[in-house]
Amino acid sequence: MDTQDQHGRTRTRTRTRTTRTRTRTRTRPTRLHPRLPFLAAAAAAAAFTLTAALATPLNPAPQQAEAKDDGKKTLTVAVAQSVDSLSPFVAQRLLSTSVHRLTYEYLTNYDPKDNHAVPAFATKWESSADKLTWTYTIRSNSKWSDGKKATAEDAAWTFNKIMSKEGTATANSNFVTNFKKVTAPTPTKLVIELKKPQSTMAALDVPIVPKHVWEKVDDISKFNNDKDFPVVGNGPFVLSEFKVDQYVKLRANKNFWRGAPKFDELVFKTYKDQDAAVAALRKGEVSFVAGQPALTPAQANGLKGEPDIKVNNGPGRRFFALATNPGARTRDGKKFGDGHPALLDKRVRQALFLSVDRKAIVDKVFQGNAVEGAGYIPPRFSEYSWKPSADQELGYDPQRAAKLLDEAGYRKKGSKRVGKDGKPLDFRILCHATDPNDKAVGKYLKEWWGDLGIGLKVNCLDDVSVPWYAGEYDLAFDGWSVNPDPDFVLGIHTCAALPEKAKESAATDNFICDNKYDELYEKQLAEYDPAKRAALVKQMESWLYDSGYMNVIAYPNAVEAYRTDQIKSITTMPSAAGNIYGQDGYWSWWSAVPASGKGSSDGGSSTGVIIGIAVAAVVLAGGGALFAMRRRSTADDRE
Amino acid sequence: MTTDTASVPAPQEPEKTQGTQNTQDTQDTQGTQDTQGTHNTQGKSDPPREAKSPRALAWTRRRHSAARFWREYRTHRAGVCGLAALVLIALAALGAPLLVGSDAQSVTEAPGEAMRAPSGEFPLGTDQFGRDLLALLVWGARISLTVGLLAAFLSVAIGTVVGITAGHFRGWYATVIMRVTDWFLVMPTLVLAIALASVMDRSVWTIILAIGVTTWPTTARLVRAQTLAVESRPYIERAQALGGGHGHVMARHVLPNVMPLVLAQTTLVISSAILTEATLAFLGLGDPTVVSWGGLLQDAREAGAVSAGDWWYLAPPGIAIAVVALAFTLCGRAVESVLNPRLGVSR
Repeated sequence: MDTQDQHGRTRTRTRTRTTRTRTRTRTRPTRLHPRLPFLAAAAAAAAFTLTAALATPLNPAPQQAEAKDDGKKTLTVAVAQSVDSLSPFVAQRLLSTSVHRLTYEYLTNYDPKDNHAVPAFATKWESSADKLTWTYTIRSNSKWSDGKKATAEDAAWTFNKIMSKEGTATANSNFVTNFKKVTAPTPTKLVIELKKPQSTMAALDVPIVPKHVWEKVDDISKFNNDKDFPVVGNGPFVLSEFKVDQYVKLRANKNFWRGAPKFDELVFKTYKDQDAAVAALRKGEVSFVAGQPALTPAQANGLKGEPDIKVNNGPGRRFFALATNPGARTRDGKKFGDGHPALLDKRVRQALFLSVDRKAIVDKVFQGNAVEGAGYIPPRFSEYSWKPSADQELGYDPQRAAKLLDEAGYRKKGSKRVGKDGKPLDFRILCHATDPNDKAVGKYLKEWWGDLGIGLKVNCLDDVSVPWYAGEYDLAFDGWSVNPDPDFVLGIHTCAALPEKAKESAATDNFICDNKYDELYEKQLAEYDPAKRAALVKQMESWLYDSGYMNVIAYPNAVEAYRTDQIKSITTMPSAAGNIYGQDGYWSWWSAVPASGKGSSDGGSSTGVIIGIAVAAVVLAGGGALFAMRRRSTADDRE
Repeated sequence: MTTDTASVPAPQEPEKTQGTQNTQDTQDTQGTQDTQGTHNTQGKSDPPREAKSPRALAWTRRRHSAARFWREYRTHRAGVCGLAALVLIALAALGAPLLVGSDAQSVTEAPGEAMRAPSGEFPLGTDQFGRDLLALLVWGARISLTVGLLAAFLSVAIGTVVGITAGHFRGWYATVIMRVTDWFLVMPTLVLAIALASVMDRSVWTIILAIGVTTWPTTARLVRAQTLAVESRPYIERAQALGGGHGHVMARHVLPNVMPLVLAQTTLVISSAILTEATLAFLGLGDPTVVSWGGLLQDAREAGAVSAGDWWYLAPPGIAIAVVALAFTLCGRAVESVLNPRLGVSR
């Protein structure tokens, strides 16, 4: 699942070690006065340390200079994430699942134009009359990178391994819970028997792994697939090198059945600071900056003026929402957590959303690089996206919000609203400290809700998963990447997804559990007719919208950039206007064509960097001087 | 707060710290005078002119020493410059609502467009929400100064208590507490503060606490050294012989003698506290809904101002931090050399 975004955000701050060593050698020779070297060294070291944090663009990538001399064409992608695991049974982050898309075949793939299922490892698929048996014809021209033939046997083994649930269903359990039996009668035929009809059978996003390699693994649940390189696979690329938190290197699979990729090597390099990645792109050290998180408007505008750089601003796959805690509970109904009781009232939840000016957020925070939120599924997936009708819509209407709150019994007393128990209405909102958008929207919410008389405390954490799983939040910023098949993002709001024990991690997103919703979910999963299924999905979205549990504020665009002097052309998905990094398929990297000219790495660093350094140097020279003076003053004996 | 710094009651201590024989004599006679004074008041109600009440005497004495302090301080040019800068900044911070309007921090009422370069309307440009950066800079002074001052006071208070008690009690208590001090001393302050700030709520008080509880060991060591020096003098022994308990000795004899040191230390700690506050806010550990200078730098970085080259967003908060830190240091140095001439600091 490419749906890592909610809990698994990575940090964004590092300091480059190289700067520090360089500083030391530079400041050593000054020896004018017994104390001066110390002062200079302290000030300079401090200045450079902070400079490294403030303006990491200074030297973001020490060794990774496009090695084009040997004729190898390398495509380097700067990503903000690092890999959680390379095992397809465990991996959940977008980067890891993207790597799996590139290194393993899935039964089906999605068409880059309109997202319909197209042949991949399977060439043909059909269901029986009772809708319970699916037969896939497996292609015979796919080979593992160690020369063995890839067959239906590998696929059957993979699915059976996930179904065995020996800690192997972390990543893909939602696809197989309904499976009864998976067999491979012949090398080109895969048969899946179901307990109940399942509409996602042409969209099984499960990487098929080679049986002959994986059967030798002792404990699959703990194996991270990072022992033997190159890793045996049959996708358009072969995983050839990996360094934790640094990079993943892939080399082109020349025998790929759809045709070999044009680039010889693909590197995903982790830049924890997006600004550093942008600077590396300017210098030509990377060919592509992933839009996850999206480039900020200032970064995008700055890059638009640069020659040889193209900014791709396509509709995203994500939604950006406010989740309200509906009262966390376990599957058997045991309550836990400390969500605000006022939020159990639908009127309060709706009032909160009525006082959010979504248009202002799109205009001011995203500066137009987003689409105003409505239904749960982004408009990019047009068949499933839904918009509320005029009288159902909760537009920006603070007066109506105030009225709803009055009705719910929270009347204004002075400037604050108080409940019947006399306690003021104060909420906490959980925000990702690493996401600037969360913090920015938090500022707006605080003012809008403050006008209504509701207090808000913006609680930004690096890792929100702890209070989240514990149900210790009132509201939270939430967001998921949505797949062409919406089953996964719908499934995370069913009762079945609730945790078994309190505070345990579970598939649930926001502890929502409702019979009507669950009923609709079961129905859409069993519905094979696309139009009817879409209608059911829309009903679910309508329910979610009215409930006020998930308030979708915006669908942020994927804002990413690449060097046109290194990449001549690349496929977006949808191909008319879409994203490049994090596609539902391998199209972008497989189709990327290298530019003939050499990358012009002019090395012209921007004025911003220089000024940033200057500022930091000024600040820290002051700090350093202070430190030195203090030392001098206090070092003397005072009796 | 600048006025505070100048007039903190630092009565006659400067002489006492000279550590000469007659200082001790002064101390003792003063003690007896005081007691006589109280007897007097008990006896006669209020003698009109010739014999002033002890309180009035004390005040005159304090006034004199404050005037002497200021005369001395004035001769330190750098200190005066620092003080002037501080007064200016403090006035701006206090008058922020009048100077730049009370809704300058509001994002919903932001007057301008996002990320505009300096112009006539916005002398320092605007941030990513369209707010006036000059106004934010003025508002940010409030948080930076408040946090700097409170954190410094907390730090110095902890340091003083630890230092005096460790110096006074000695024995196993001192050993234990000084080992704790050593432990805090060798811990990297910033790392410890980051750890503290990240486990607690994001708020201004967290930052104050984080800085306060991590920066006290230097003060503690200094104060302990001074306490040991003071307590080795005969008049302490005399006080003890006359029945002065631990509390009396620490509060009446040791504390007044370490006060000058503590005062100078406070002014010096403030600037490092302001720097630490800025660093923590810059690292994203501050309250995101409060505007501070470090927070402005962090906002600028997150908005991509560094790679976009929006210098007007980055430079002013950085310069402001440097100026305030420098001003406090200059003041602190001046105060220190006035109160402790033996340091022989250049003017």
